[in-house]
Amino acid sequence: MNQSPLVEMIDIEKHFGGVRAVEKVSIDLYPGEVVGVLGHNGAGKSCLMKILAGAMQPNGGEIRVGGRTIEFQEPNDARAVGIETIYQTLALADHLDAPANLFLGRELKTRFGNLDEPRMLEAARKVLARLNPNFTNLRDPVSSLSGGQRQVIAIARAIYFDTKILIMDEPTAALGPSETKMVADLTLKLRDEGLGILLVSHDMHDVFDLCDRVVVMNKGRVVGSHAIDEVTKDDVLSLIIKGELPADWSARNLLERAE
Amino acid sequence: MPEAWRITRIGGRAGLPDAQASFLYMQRLSAILTLFLLILGFSLASPHFLSVNNTLTVLLQTSVIGLLGIGLTMVIITGGIDLSVGSVLALSGVMSALAVRSGIPVVPAMSVGVLTGAACGGFNGIVITKLRIPPFVATLGMMLIARGLALQITGAAPISGLGRAFGQLGNGALFRITETQPNGFPTVIFPGIPYPAILLLIVAIGAAYLLRRRQIGRHIYATGSNEEAARLSGVRTDRTKLYAYTMSGALAGLSGNVLMSRLVTAQPSEGVMYELDAIAAAVIGGASLSGGVGTISGTMIGAFIIGILRNGLNMSGVSAFIQQIVIGFVVIGAVWIDQMRNRN
Repeated sequence: MNQSPLVEMIDIEKHFGGVRAVEKVSIDLYPGEVVGVLGHNGAGKSCLMKILAGAMQPNGGEIRVGGRTIEFQEPNDARAVGIETIYQTLALADHLDAPANLFLGRELKTRFGNLDEPRMLEAARKVLARLNPNFTNLRDPVSSLSGGQRQVIAIARAIYFDTKILIMDEPTAALGPSETKMVADLTLKLRDEGLGILLVSHDMHDVFDLCDRVVVMNKGRVVGSHAIDEVTKDDVLSLIIKGELPADWSARNLLERAE
Repeated sequence: MPEAWRITRIGGRAGLPDAQASFLYMQRLSAILTLFLLILGFSLASPHFLSVNNTLTVLLQTSVIGLLGIGLTMVIITGGIDLSVGSVLALSGVMSALAVRSGIPVVPAMSVGVLTGAACGGFNGIVITKLRIPPFVATLGMMLIARGLALQITGAAPISGLGRAFGQLGNGALFRITETQPNGFPTVIFPGIPYPAILLLIVAIGAAYLLRRRQIGRHIYATGSNEEAARLSGVRTDRTKLYAYTMSGALAGLSGNVLMSRLVTAQPSEGVMYELDAIAAAVIGGASLSGGVGTISGTMIGAFIIGILRNGLNMSGVSAFIQQIVIGFVVIGAVWIDQMRNRN
């Protein structure tokens, strides 16, 4: 890839007391690619993603966005440079409705500084209709919506603003088949629009369908970073479980290259 | 949802969704009904209950609970609680009185009281957000600290001799019409609208505007609804909570001024257990102790239910002991309703 990276995470470290959750991890992400981040629960994936989203502060290392080193104090700092996150928990305020959630933290205001409800409702109507034409109950509390609808709000919130880098943490874990397909199609569409996407997933099918590259973490370290066409599912599983590629990998790979 | 509800819904604007609004509407309806039943019952029990003078007394008494309740509503919506308002009320009133006694004019002196309250609230907010102490414990501490301070700086003695001007806020009224009789004494033709009631109305409208139409209000709801989600969405939840507790403290300071002004004496032992009336007012009005739900208009209805209950029981000659028992059951009942709602 000859483009410059959208984001580079260099030697990121995070400790909790004596526990090293993330140890000297470096990951970069280019425009128009989907990078899968895989690993066991507790391998440090979520921690790393939270650091990139500004929700957690690292103990060491640096983050460069567009070549510039940036320190994130809070989620708004990451959002300001175009990093958006779809959390596994969706991070929705249950008592509020869809427009309120969509614009939470960056509400539209009138000239007098009041909340501009009509404008937020209209914008929400448009963006949600694009993702799911059946989404009409915009004024219901999001707690009363289906899992798919809630997911749509979380996605809409992550792509509505000027997004360059999208972090998706298990985006399909709670979804049915048709909704999963919607998310997959959308992921590829956003990739083609030039976004860089980090996909945290347990679903090997999703990863191999969507990702251009996989990064596998084990015990807080990156144990492998490969283009998707140079590994098999078994190779990735071996990386996840044992932290190393199968013994025959390099021989097999050389053979394939030669063919 | 029936169309009629859409028209009359209460949370229609400001991101409060229709379904929640309609539930609040039902609860609001039952609260208003309770209020009318209380008024009806007490006016049958005592002929003086519905007199102009007693109505004004109720307005006056309710204004203190109402002001505290508004602050508590903000705190409760964030998912917190403020047990310190009764003590902060006393400390603030004492500070205002000391300021008057030191020669400061009444208006700036009363601002000293409000600022004292805001400082106590701000301290609560910092303890809760920075030291990560649960609101219940933090404000319980402040309850003791503020009460102790009020008693310490006054030597537990009331401060009197505050002058007529100090009593104006609590005892004055707008549109009061008096006539001088031939014997030189004035008679009151119309007692007017008490200043505390006007103050309550202004503060209630201001607080409702903050909660419904301003970003800080939206963030208060979001913080109470799902704090972690709000934080990840870029809401500065710590700052939002600090704001709510500071407001609660400042309003406790304001109600301290009203109460001490009414007595024209600063009593360091005033306001004991007022926090419970204020919490009850908010909960009866539909605020949920688990956060994310509550309205100022609901709290106002709740404050009037408590105010009328206290006044009506007094008028009907019910002893202070029985009153405590009744209010106790009302508080339990209100929280029970809150639990039922959460189960739905």
